[in-house]
Amino acid sequence: MNIEAYIASGIIEDYVLGTASEQEKQEVACMSHIYPEIKEEVLRMEEAMEAYALKHQKAPSKQLKANIFAKMDFDNGPGTEESTDAKIIPLDKGNTPIEHNVEKDAQVASTRPKWTKMAVAAGLVLALLAGWAAYQLKALNGANSDMAERMERMEVELAYNSALADLYRDPSYKMVRLVGLEKSPESSVSAFWNDSSQEVVLDVQKLPAVPAGKQYQLWSIVDGVPVDMGVLDSDFDKKILKVKKTKPGTSAFAITLEQEGGSPTPTMEEMYVMGNV
Amino acid sequence: MATNTLKYTEQELVVGLKRNDRAAFEYLYDHYSGALFNIILKIVRDEERAGDVMQEVFLKIWKRMALYNPEKGRLFTWIVNIARNTAIDATRTETRKPSMVDVNDRTVHDQADSTERPDSGQEELRALVGLLRPERKQLVDLAYFQGYTHEEIANNLNIPLGTVKSRIRTALQELKQYFAV
Repeated sequence: MNIEAYIASGIIEDYVLGTASEQEKQEVACMSHIYPEIKEEVLRMEEAMEAYALKHQKAPSKQLKANIFAKMDFDNGPGTEESTDAKIIPLDKGNTPIEHNVEKDAQVASTRPKWTKMAVAAGLVLALLAGWAAYQLKALNGANSDMAERMERMEVELAYNSALADLYRDPSYKMVRLVGLEKSPESSVSAFWNDSSQEVVLDVQKLPAVPAGKQYQLWSIVDGVPVDMGVLDSDFDKKILKVKKTKPGTSAFAITLEQEGGSPTPTMEEMYVMGNV
Repeated sequence: MATNTLKYTEQELVVGLKRNDRAAFEYLYDHYSGALFNIILKIVRDEERAGDVMQEVFLKIWKRMALYNPEKGRLFTWIVNIARNTAIDATRTETRKPSMVDVNDRTVHDQADSTERPDSGQEELRALVGLLRPERKQLVDLAYFQGYTHEEIANNLNIPLGTVKSRIRTALQELKQYFAV
């Protein structure tokens, strides 16, 4: 994605001004989650507008603060979320006149023209409709945030998958499959090695979760000697990990579990995966 | 009510608010009620009503604090949105004249305000006016303080939508530069 073009599109200004649509708001929230540059721009814009707003102050009456704080309960909290209250109000308003009408109807039923009953019926229908609409709205809102979460996850997956695809397609990278050893037969890691620049990146398909105080460390075997390639970020799932450069003449790669920060030489009993070039 | 003198970072403030800590809410009120009230008053245009809306807004902030997600943006952006939307809803239920007439009307009203009734902070405002060209400041204020959409502003002021967007964008970029630390 072209981040600069996205920032220049003006959507962030809309977001910060509050003029963006719900969908655009979700989108900016997602994007700023994925791209630090976008997050930075949103934050700087928010800070500027905050400073701008703070320069335009008008103090409410002194009494107001006391009135408001008298309504707040700091021992028990606000209780249940009130956003549904607003949606219940139309129902109440609809109900009150109905009850009123029903009472009167009972008293002077015979003299009442037919339309009053129809009005009551219409009122009931309206009340039901309002309730239904409120319910739908809530469901929709829920669906919307679910959607945003899914989109967020998909964006992350997509970025990861396309980075992987690029590596597979790039002829300058050689893929080396590191397979699980006795210690952990199910483990599997792919190393992509550029044998002219000696750059190496890793894609961990499966490795056991890292125990506390430990870290995985990558080694390359050059002329039969293990060379430290650095420790792996323990949050390696669905990420392309960049490690140190190797040396020409690399014959194999291996990963061992070491103390946090890594060791000068590999602990052979703790070797999890290995792959020959 | 004692005005608390503690100074919070945004992060500390959010933690306090989420813990339903009274001192944090007092700080929030002391620090932001002026800015929020200014926005509410610009939308409902009646001091007494604005006070009612302010109360509604602050209680909403209190009740919804659990829903605020700092990952998605700054606290102030979130509370400004609550204030703006609540104030706009309040004018809708009132069913006054259509908003079409309102924009021009409010614009004139705003200008009258600033020339005839200078209040505190006016000096700083003057510095800001020098910063933003009047035609841009007007658009930013209509959008940010009064919650008008770009389309509404374009229609009511008879300016092409593209011009509205680019002027607002330029103005916000200028503000960003100006306030950048």
